[in-house]
Amino acid sequence: MPVQAQAKVRPLDELDIGAIVKIDERITGIYRPDIWEQRVGYYLRRDPESSQVAEVEGKVVGFMLGDVRGGEFGIEEPSGWIERFGIDPDFRGRDLGRQLYDAMLKTFRARGASVVRTLVDEQDQAVAGFLEALGFKPSPMRALVMPVPESSRES
Amino acid sequence: MKVANTTLEKKYHDAVEHWRRHWMPDYELLIKNWDKYFPKDEAFCLCAKMELGTSETVPIGDHAGEQKRLKPSELTEEEARHLLAIIRAQASTEFGSIQQHAGTLARAQDDEDRYWVMRVMAEELRHGYQMFHLLLSQDWTKASGGLKGEDMVEEVLSMGTGSHVLDAFNLDYDSFIDNICFAALVDRVGKYQLTMQKACAYKPMADSMPPMLREEAFHLAAGVIPLRRWAKRAAEGDPYVTMEAIQKSFNKWYPRALEMFGDERGGDTNVKFGFKDMKNREAQDLYIEEVRRMVRDINLRFLRARFPKHSLETVESVLDTLERDHGRHDGVAWTDLLRLPDARFFRRKGEPAWTMVGAAGESFADADTYLRYLATQLADGYMASRDMKLYGDGLHKVAQGEWTPAEATKHMPKLRRVGGNCPCSRAVRWVVDEPTAPRPS
Repeated sequence: MPVQAQAKVRPLDELDIGAIVKIDERITGIYRPDIWEQRVGYYLRRDPESSQVAEVEGKVVGFMLGDVRGGEFGIEEPSGWIERFGIDPDFRGRDLGRQLYDAMLKTFRARGASVVRTLVDEQDQAVAGFLEALGFKPSPMRALVMPVPESSRES
Repeated sequence: MKVANTTLEKKYHDAVEHWRRHWMPDYELLIKNWDKYFPKDEAFCLCAKMELGTSETVPIGDHAGEQKRLKPSELTEEEARHLLAIIRAQASTEFGSIQQHAGTLARAQDDEDRYWVMRVMAEELRHGYQMFHLLLSQDWTKASGGLKGEDMVEEVLSMGTGSHVLDAFNLDYDSFIDNICFAALVDRVGKYQLTMQKACAYKPMADSMPPMLREEAFHLAAGVIPLRRWAKRAAEGDPYVTMEAIQKSFNKWYPRALEMFGDERGGDTNVKFGFKDMKNREAQDLYIEEVRRMVRDINLRFLRARFPKHSLETVESVLDTLERDHGRHDGVAWTDLLRLPDARFFRRKGEPAWTMVGAAGESFADADTYLRYLATQLADGYMASRDMKLYGDGLHKVAQGEWTPAEATKHMPKLRRVGGNCPCSRAVRWVVDEPTAPRPS
């Protein structure tokens, strides 16, 4: 069995956008650079050390984006939020998700967060299972949603 | 990571605010619209930020393993003088870049791009303020040859485009393309300098770096993200910002950015004193590879937009072939893409200073031919500048053997302000410094 190259986990930078677009495209089949330019710009200006990427042999093969914030939804305590992550399908099964998570956790802790939060689509068993394996548990806070009512129903 | 915020004594704080009113007339607009363009981000603070809980031990150089120094008096006189020069140069770059950005800021076609650059300017102001904190919070009299802190602050605040310490900060922008390319290329050198200085044996300097680096991450994004968007629009036929215009701006800034690392053969003293953890060439090589990665990234964005039906793998293969063969693919020539100039191209300092090397590495034997070649590689507005005229004069003298490269470098004049304390004074003139004995690198 060939020896697998060691992964290097480091903070996100602006030159990772292309690699993130590529990983996302490999996962979803959709090319959407505009979205990732916006998102990476957002994290780099708010909290450039929390978001992480995983490199294998100098190539970015995984990412996890998030930041520390408080004051939303009545949650005043600073919380580390994990919002987007992805691993290149060719590099799955190498524990990269956990390595990315551990690196994020370290910066969340250094920035004073005592809780890590995220949202997951219950239909997405793979992601839900990954988060459960990391130790996430259902939160008493529920995510609610409804379509914007048409104007005739508002009046 | 915990950070302590501190402000300067009122008279110095007010001096920076006064300077800001002259050079950042849109500052109030930025603050007013902060939540629109940067929702939920921490409010801007004009203050010095010191990282807490950093290493107490010198990691490199002659003093490796010793306690980091807390006061200038704990440094030798030579070390203190050397560090003071680094702080002065760093302060000069921060204020200098604001002056450059201010000239063409209003020409941005996109409001988001403009506000991003305005935020960059505000944060550069904070970085300059940070350097002032280093100058003013301790007594540097012995190292500065008797200059008081307020004199050093006054000196930096009186600098203008033309009188800054480093050449990259003495060039005017020709268009908003320069604002963006400067952020992508020159701020990237800043990232390297700040990263190297995290190791600094003088602890207040080391503690200043992490908060500055966090802000610098966005400055690089404020360069790269608009470049990616412009590449896409250029590929779709948008006539406003072309790849050629971006290339010409790269050709202007990249050589000056390389020179910001210092002479390729130097940097030993910085490492010896424990002020930086890399020598000049080592850091410059890493920078070159990073810019190469950026250029490829922008080219991929261009090609994906030009060939929307191609898969990612196909486009990567097309780019590999264009990079290797310098040919054409389906109407796109190698020269339609961004190209990383040769590291010896258009240099006036460092190892390849005043050599006549083209962007692709080709050599020129004659100064006039080389200048005519440069006219095809640089923007017309820049070619018509005083900087180019002075460069051309120096090049002729080097080519004719009248000056050595070192003499030509020393003879490049600078703008000097010759009177008045207020930055609104325009009493400046071009002066040539008398050549002095070489200083330790």
